[in-house]
Amino acid sequence: MILRLQIGTPAASVSELRAFIEGQGLRTFLSPEPTRPILAIVDRVPETLANQLAARPEVEQSIVPRGEWRLVDRAWREHPTSVSVGSVRVGAGESVVIAGPCSVEGRELILEGARICRDGGAHILRGGAFKPRTSPYAFQGLGREGLAQLKDAGQSVGLPVISEIMDATQVDAFRECEIDCLQVGARNMQNFTLLKAIAGAGRPVLLKRGLSATVAEWLAAAEYLAAHGSEQIILCERGIRTFETATRNTLDLTVLPLLRQWTHLPILVDPSHAAGIPELVAPLSRAAIAAGADGVAVEVHPRPDQALSDGAQALLPGELTQVVAECRVVGAALGRGFHRQPPLPAVQAGV
Amino acid sequence: MSLTLRHQLTALDRALAHLLDERARLAREIASCASLPAPALDDALARMDGCFPAAGLERVFQAVDEGCRQAVEEAPR
Repeated sequence: MILRLQIGTPAASVSELRAFIEGQGLRTFLSPEPTRPILAIVDRVPETLANQLAARPEVEQSIVPRGEWRLVDRAWREHPTSVSVGSVRVGAGESVVIAGPCSVEGRELILEGARICRDGGAHILRGGAFKPRTSPYAFQGLGREGLAQLKDAGQSVGLPVISEIMDATQVDAFRECEIDCLQVGARNMQNFTLLKAIAGAGRPVLLKRGLSATVAEWLAAAEYLAAHGSEQIILCERGIRTFETATRNTLDLTVLPLLRQWTHLPILVDPSHAAGIPELVAPLSRAAIAAGADGVAVEVHPRPDQALSDGAQALLPGELTQVVAECRVVGAALGRGFHRQPPLPAVQAGV
Repeated sequence: MSLTLRHQLTALDRALAHLLDERARLAREIASCASLPAPALDDALARMDGCFPAAGLERVFQAVDEGCRQAVEEAPR
């Protein structure tokens, strides 16, 4: 249950109400919302108590949650929230583009990829160092060394970086390599041990939707992060398993307007993994922005035919430029801005 | 003119206004590190079906260019 209190309710009254609820054996959270006190009761509230709370004068609105989430519910905040990845704000009304190769394959290649992403207009550099591959014989990533190479490449072009974390034991490596955002992949969306471990890492988390996860299961996973201390969560739709086999997955754009009603979290779309076909990435990116996504995450590779993973779905450098330009135009036509690229490092900016 | 068509016209006007704002924003971004290129009039003309007169488009682009250059000049430094 979420209790939205009257604006201006004194802090002492909020504390008193909280103490009363917790005295009934129920756990509460207080929203960080600065303008209005909002309380979440995470345990099941008996009907008589719910009615009693709803009738209190300081309670403006009592909301019965749609599912197993409270802190990521739309009612938990007054406005949609944004998340800072380095100097890039995701969800602040301006579209952002995350781009990069599926995997970090070596220092020179990721540096080349970073330059392509920078020149193509992307805001955040992606690259996998720990790869969850379907086949145990496929390239598994460069591990910690890959993270370091990714960070160096990002810094060389002035872009923050994001990479997928697969195991709680990797948190220290991500922290030491100063990875700006931790990505939880589709296969790990319901790895609750991992979610709890990274919630306290003090880094933004991009939570991809599971291959067969419902929206309710996805938001419940996000709630794990929020309940364990992470306020910086970005959702990412990357396609779901359906009966359709013409594309790698089916991109579920329906979730975009739906999630706007259900959660305050920013939402990105990954059309590369959804389609698995590079020719579909640009139109799906346009559709994602048009449907209200805060941005897109696309795979780009200098030479897709030589990529060690997912090369078949990667964009060529020129194609990234086109996707970025089209996202800007579609967003602008709908009154949505396009995030400015982070500044170039001083040495490259000629300072 | 039906209400539906009137709404469509208003929506197009809004989209044009948003696009002009975005163009000015981008012009400021470009101008911070390079000189501002002229509008791509020939490219635009080649893509249009002729419903909007070419001479009119030229005047519009001229006004857009002036507006964007003014936005660059007025940008906070």
